[in-house]
Amino acid sequence: MPPEGVVFDLGYRPHEGDRLGRAGAFKALYRDGVRRVFGIRRKARRKIFPAILIGIAVLPALFFVAIGVVLGDLGADVFFDHPEYFNWTGNITLIFCALAASELIIPDRVHGTMAVYASRPLTAVDYIGARALSMAAVVFGFVWLPHLLLLIGRAWTSSEGFTTYLTGHLDLLWQTALATIVYLVAYGTLAFLVAVYSSRPALAVVIFLVVLAAWRATLEALASAGYTVAALGAVPDHPGYVKDWIMGANSEAWLPETAGFDPIVSLAAIVVIAAVAAYAVLRRYRSLL
Amino acid sequence: MTSIVSTRGLRFAYGDIVALSGIDLEVPAGSIGLVGANGAGKTTLLKLLLGILSPNSGEIDVLGHAVPGQAIEVRSRVGYMPEGPCLPPDQTAADFLIYAAELGGLPLRAARQRASDVLTIVGLHEERFRDLGGFSTGMQQRAKLAQAIVHDPELVLLDEPTAGLDPEGREEMLNLITRLSDFGINAIVSSHVLPDIERTCSWVVMLDGGKVLRSGPLTDLSTTDEVELETLGDPAPVEAALRAAGAEVTHDGKGLAIKVPGGDPFTVVRDVLAATGAGIRRLGARRTTLEDIYLAEGEDAS
Repeated sequence: MPPEGVVFDLGYRPHEGDRLGRAGAFKALYRDGVRRVFGIRRKARRKIFPAILIGIAVLPALFFVAIGVVLGDLGADVFFDHPEYFNWTGNITLIFCALAASELIIPDRVHGTMAVYASRPLTAVDYIGARALSMAAVVFGFVWLPHLLLLIGRAWTSSEGFTTYLTGHLDLLWQTALATIVYLVAYGTLAFLVAVYSSRPALAVVIFLVVLAAWRATLEALASAGYTVAALGAVPDHPGYVKDWIMGANSEAWLPETAGFDPIVSLAAIVVIAAVAAYAVLRRYRSLL
Repeated sequence: MTSIVSTRGLRFAYGDIVALSGIDLEVPAGSIGLVGANGAGKTTLLKLLLGILSPNSGEIDVLGHAVPGQAIEVRSRVGYMPEGPCLPPDQTAADFLIYAAELGGLPLRAARQRASDVLTIVGLHEERFRDLGGFSTGMQQRAKLAQAIVHDPELVLLDEPTAGLDPEGREEMLNLITRLSDFGINAIVSSHVLPDIERTCSWVVMLDGGKVLRSGPLTDLSTTDEVELETLGDPAPVEAALRAAGAEVTHDGKGLAIKVPGGDPFTVVRDVLAATGAGIRRLGARRTTLEDIYLAEGEDAS
């Protein structure tokens, strides 16, 4: 028995196991990003906004399922269907993307943590890619899971029977997933672009939302005045229009639609805007990493 | 001599301002001091070694890898403690250290172990569940050092590690830096506080205006062929006798610095003391400080 009070100094123990290199660093960045967006292992106040937004997105689906369970099959026309549900979650997605991007990008720069990343086996593309992937995973889950919930709830309460309803509506799974990606690409890249040039997360969110709202109002006025080409810049409307196209629906009068553009043009506009934004983001970060 | 860092004709400029002007370096393993005034090019050199900046011309080799071409390989084996803040204030020390270790390529299990070990080494184990934002300056500096070594690098680059520290914090930091060599970690310590370098390093690279003034072992730099003598009573007769014996004598504080061109100053001093009968308070080889060398070299360069 060693005498009481003896402190065993283990000394310095070098790491002799595996080193995961760049892939390990990327994975760590990705996992940190997901935690950060949800405020996991952060103070309680950091969890409030994500929890509220997720609640707003998911509660209607839960509510519908609960009503369905109590009253039986109500049919899609009584309660909103998947395309309408996207319209409900679309604005929340916009806010969520803005919040997530600013939380993922700004603190690292403001607190000087970029210097730590710069000394690790990472490139600028790795950094932005891992952060984007974190946001994509969170936003995808946040936007798509309510649809899955809605589908299963409908199948559960359907008079056709669970399996028959589900097999008859399996297309909805890929359609909603694809539409989610469209929303994600359109809003996510722009949210990142604003975040990389901002130094205060709250301000970045407000700027992003106000600029988009003002931008849309301006374009709507121009399109109404006969400058229909202005509708091509209607960033907030393009994902909804493309989503309706994917799902074969006509849930709302989208600006590019009223201006006479085909949905494929909206899709092309999303791709171009996202590519330009992604290029600008990477260009900004090449000098930081 | 095996070099951990070597550069050939390394040049870097921020626009029209030349930060490093074609420097050649061979830096051996161990604790290396990188000294120079503010704006001498120290931080620029560190960033070039990490591949954060790309040189305008010249070659860099770190731990056998060419930079910036193989910067990813280098960064897997190098740690960096920046001069400025780098800690997220809303994370606990333990969480951030685990994350920093994973970013360095360690698997999660090893990262947890290493974070715990390193927090103990830097004296922050008791504070591991506190948010970094609540740390004092001294604790933050130690946490910065911890993140730099948590992934067990072969080389760590420390940029002004004692900046902003009070005497006690400075002492702790210098002790930690001294221990790095015991851990088998080579260190390049950038500082404009020359006594810090004298305390911690065995090799010194002096930068001034983007050029290398000197690069060599600290012992070589600080050893002179002069003798330092302090006598009891009036030194004037001893000084006069020394001059008569052909010695060059200068006043150095309370004592005399004696140099005998082409001869042994100790022999001359012994003979003069015997002849004058003067008592001595202190006699020994004169060692210069880095500050003396830096100032002398700076004057020569200008």
